[in-house]
Amino acid sequence: MRSLLVTLLITFHCSAMATPVVEIEIRNHLFFPSEFEIPAQTKVKLLITNQDPTAEEFESYELNREKVIPGKSKGVVFIGPLPPGEYPFFGEFYPKTAQGKILIK
Amino acid sequence: MLINSVIIILREVLEAALIVSVLMALCQILQISRRRLIPALMLGGLLAVLYAVNINTISMLFEGVGQEIVNTGLYLFIFGCLLVLIVAIGKRSANKTIVLAISGCIAAALVREGTESIIYLHGFWSDPGLMRSVIVGSFIGAGIGFSIGVFFYYLIVSLVPTNGLRFSIGVLILIGGGMISQAIQLLIQADIIPSQAPLWNSSAWINESSLIGQLLYALVGYEASPTPIQAACYALSIIIATTLAIKSLRSSRLNAQLLKA
Repeated sequence: MRSLLVTLLITFHCSAMATPVVEIEIRNHLFFPSEFEIPAQTKVKLLITNQDPTAEEFESYELNREKVIPGKSKGVVFIGPLPPGEYPFFGEFYPKTAQGKILIK
Repeated sequence: MLINSVIIILREVLEAALIVSVLMALCQILQISRRRLIPALMLGGLLAVLYAVNINTISMLFEGVGQEIVNTGLYLFIFGCLLVLIVAIGKRSANKTIVLAISGCIAAALVREGTESIIYLHGFWSDPGLMRSVIVGSFIGAGIGFSIGVFFYYLIVSLVPTNGLRFSIGVLILIGGGMISQAIQLLIQADIIPSQAPLWNSSAWINESSLIGQLLYALVGYEASPTPIQAACYALSIIIATTLAIKSLRSSRLNAQLLKA
């Protein structure tokens, strides 16, 4: 059920040529969805919207990504193509709550 | 929150403190007054505030990758200034160029590292409950970062001037390589340079998130899983800077200084 909800939450715009887009929201220092799947060996654009008034830093050592997402603003991070695996990410400014994971299958 | 603040601020301060301390030590060795760097420190601080204030606008530039473009520009600018500095050290009466190159490096490093600290601290401004532990944590983090910088400065100036000069230039070459590596990483993140499978993954030995990993990241641009393009650009930047440094260190100006020392 949870994975179904997560799948529904993800807006996966995928056309023949364009890079698929996954939308992630930051609310109350939490990521929504906090866990989602993307296909292996595919480049994906993460569109991160920060609904909080405070900035957050999207960070993942496994993905080699680091980006400040200002409060009430958006940011784009490209990831992949990557081999299958689990790739955790977190919000560096609020790491206790802002945690997530990308499952690449 | 306290520990997290220590780590975040330490990371930012450490990167800036290392480059600033090496450049200040270089001024001491070359007998250039460190007072001449005050405008660069002030300009860097001011630009960091301006960058932080306008972060929303900058983020949305270039279809959402404005930060990557601006930060890549800063890294390339620092690398350029380091190359100019290395060449100028070998030239006669090039003190003005040396001061300008050092000032450029310091100002850009402060903008790069200061902006994130300002954005981070600003987020807690409206939350007095958390602000106290964040301030305390930040002071501890900044204190540790500055201390490492001061240690580095005295380590270099305590060496015989010729060795101090060689050591400083060596460290600056590695820092410059790190700047190029970080610039490439940002261009991959912005999808300007294609992403590739990593050349290796050394995170099991030295994790980037560990203290050693962070120190190596600041000092030599350590990257646990670099892509082939990133590793190649890093190697190329080190080769270019080293070639210029060898030429510069053999020059007459240095020999004259050695005789004086």
